[in-house]
Amino acid sequence: MIAFRYTKTDGAEYLSHLDLLRHVYRTLRRAGIRVEMSGGFHPHPNIFMNNPLGLGIKSVAEYCAVDAVFDGDFKEAFNAHSPHGVKCSGFRVVSANPNYAESIKSCAYTARGISPFDPQEILQRKSIVICDLRGRQTDIRERIYSLACADGEISFTLGCGQKNLRPDLFCAYLQGLYGGAAREIIKVRSIGDGTF
Amino acid sequence: MTVDIEELRTLLLKCEKPSRYTGGEYGAPVPEERGCRFCLCFPDLYEVGMSNLGIKIVAESISRRGHAADFCFAPYKDFGAGLKERGVPLYSLALKKPLGEFDVLGFSMQFELSYTNLLYMLASAGIPLTRKERAGKSYPLIAIGGPCAVNPEPLADFIDIAFIGDGETVDADVCDLFIKHGGATDAFFRDAIKLDGVYVPALENKVKKATVRDLDAAVFPEKFAVPNCESVHDRAVVEVMRGCYNGCRFCQAGFIYRPVRTRGVQTLTKQACSLIAHSGYEEVSLNSLSTGDYPHLRELIKSLKERLPDGVTLALPSLRADTFDKDFVQDARRVSVTFAPEAGTQRLRDVINKNVTEEEILHAASSAFDIGYSAVKLYFMIGLPTETEEDLRGIARICALIKGCYRAKPRQKPLRISVSCSTFIPKPFTPFQWERQADGDVIKSKRDALLKALNVKGVTVSWNDDFTARLEATLARGDRRLCAVIRYAYENGCAFDGWNKELNKQGWDAAFERAGLTYGEYTRERAEDEKLPWDFIDIGVSKKFLLEERRRAYEGKSTQSCLKGCNGCGLQKSCPAAGGVK
Repeated sequence: MIAFRYTKTDGAEYLSHLDLLRHVYRTLRRAGIRVEMSGGFHPHPNIFMNNPLGLGIKSVAEYCAVDAVFDGDFKEAFNAHSPHGVKCSGFRVVSANPNYAESIKSCAYTARGISPFDPQEILQRKSIVICDLRGRQTDIRERIYSLACADGEISFTLGCGQKNLRPDLFCAYLQGLYGGAAREIIKVRSIGDGTF
Repeated sequence: MTVDIEELRTLLLKCEKPSRYTGGEYGAPVPEERGCRFCLCFPDLYEVGMSNLGIKIVAESISRRGHAADFCFAPYKDFGAGLKERGVPLYSLALKKPLGEFDVLGFSMQFELSYTNLLYMLASAGIPLTRKERAGKSYPLIAIGGPCAVNPEPLADFIDIAFIGDGETVDADVCDLFIKHGGATDAFFRDAIKLDGVYVPALENKVKKATVRDLDAAVFPEKFAVPNCESVHDRAVVEVMRGCYNGCRFCQAGFIYRPVRTRGVQTLTKQACSLIAHSGYEEVSLNSLSTGDYPHLRELIKSLKERLPDGVTLALPSLRADTFDKDFVQDARRVSVTFAPEAGTQRLRDVINKNVTEEEILHAASSAFDIGYSAVKLYFMIGLPTETEEDLRGIARICALIKGCYRAKPRQKPLRISVSCSTFIPKPFTPFQWERQADGDVIKSKRDALLKALNVKGVTVSWNDDFTARLEATLARGDRRLCAVIRYAYENGCAFDGWNKELNKQGWDAAFERAGLTYGEYTRERAEDEKLPWDFIDIGVSKKFLLEERRRAYEGKSTQSCLKGCNGCGLQKSCPAAGGVK
């Protein structure tokens, strides 16, 4: 199995998760990297990605594992055939599926454009209730792991997977409190077993 | 000027499928701004347009001649409204250039219900809709091509040029002339109409359609752009053949794409392998109007299987029941098979010259069932000339016979039959171009009778909207007076007329009323000696032949496939099947 880290930038942030999956598979096919298929009536390629990234959010830390064997430089082969903005930045040959959808528990992001504020004000709160995309009232406090603010850039770590919090929702919350307009929200790191 | 996608971020995130509008597809060539700057515009959504082969061929031919070719698709209403609100003009996908900054906009008109979308795209780009309003100002030339261009009159006021026939060379020839004359000068137009396939509405010139003689030597792209989001036919496509040998009397494509020309097995294998290697697709579709008639089909399938990478499947989307062969069936899942008998009785099939017999349909269905298919989709038309109740009962009869075939042997699953009924729409350049389209209430009573007869377990029936069919028939055989109607309809908010949920009948009704015209004037029967709006176009097939075919239809006589012998349609001298080309 090959596990790799890749980007979703330069326009690729507008690709849906399902379309991205198709693009990764086609990239591997173009590169001549044979992916094992699942069995059954509707076989599909064994490609395992981390949890879907919200549409429009850039990332330099997406992870994926593919059931394939490749002798050459995987990164070079992948990048020679991948779409704009979907580029491999590191890979490992692994013996078992790291199952990134489960193993990545939190992600670090940066963003610009929000007016300066004191992060302690947020971190000291016991409860922060926002309205999520489905219109439900949710307490997000326990999903915020870290928050810092320096030189016009904020960096923060949020829960991923079961305790997921979308970075754009979080930024919208900060924006509501402190003003400004969030831009360049980028996932810079995924944290969990099997990442590198 | 270019449009900055980053600045459209908030709009993109509010819209359905934002990757429709961002460009940067894998394999999409980035055009250099050189020569004549041509934008291929497709008046439908990205996922429909990205599946179209024609615009890819034309773009390839234009860029090989040293001009710039870019693409633009109709934005869905959410994005279109957002652009308007922000004052951003509609832009091309690769260069992100406002359409107004191109030299030529070439619209691919695939069906009549996209006419309002042409206006919608022009308006979204801030380009005045009519030629008159654009005169003397620096706007792009507005051109149309594709099957609807064979009757360009309903769009005549909006366009500067119509390309009629094959687009492999004529579009690029016009680009060359544009550069030679330094723009769209009077001399440019005078030279352009000397080319086969160029119609200039302002000059009202007579025109002969452009024809590519040798498909093996014709331009074909080595690679396709892989769409950002899934397109309707997300696969590699090769065109095995252009034209059709059969001459079904209702079928416009069967006449306007004559004579039949084929590509060689070697060329097709090379093209398919190249497309698969460059795209990563898992399927190659062997396209034509009737792939089962391709003379070297077995050889082609063998060659493709040997040369394509493992796991690439072949799709043969247009097999007639009489050419159905289980060896051609490539779909591993084998769920549903589609046949198009078009009419319920042999008599009516002879009238429309659909030379498929009941035995052939049943034989094809049986062989499909034997290799595992358990669902059949059947296409029929209602409202055909000379149709009687017996013909409608015949549709139910075919369904019953197919059921019988299925029951003849023990099978694992229950059989599903879906019957799809479309309303007959008379089209220009067919033997039925003079026919009346049955009125809505007649169609409705016919359909009610059919539904009653087909009220059988396991059979589902679907049909197309009556108003849509009437509108399509009106526009298809329209004249210049319809330009006003189309404009009013657009102003009343009509766009995406082919999409059921967007259909705006009130908008169209009001447009006809305002123009003082009725649908009935266009759906009526035309006299044989009447001057038809498209008579000035020489499509190759003679009017005499079409009239003779019409007479044979009423006599219930079928006409043989061109493969069995020449029927003398008027193209004998240039037709390979007739021995006219060595």
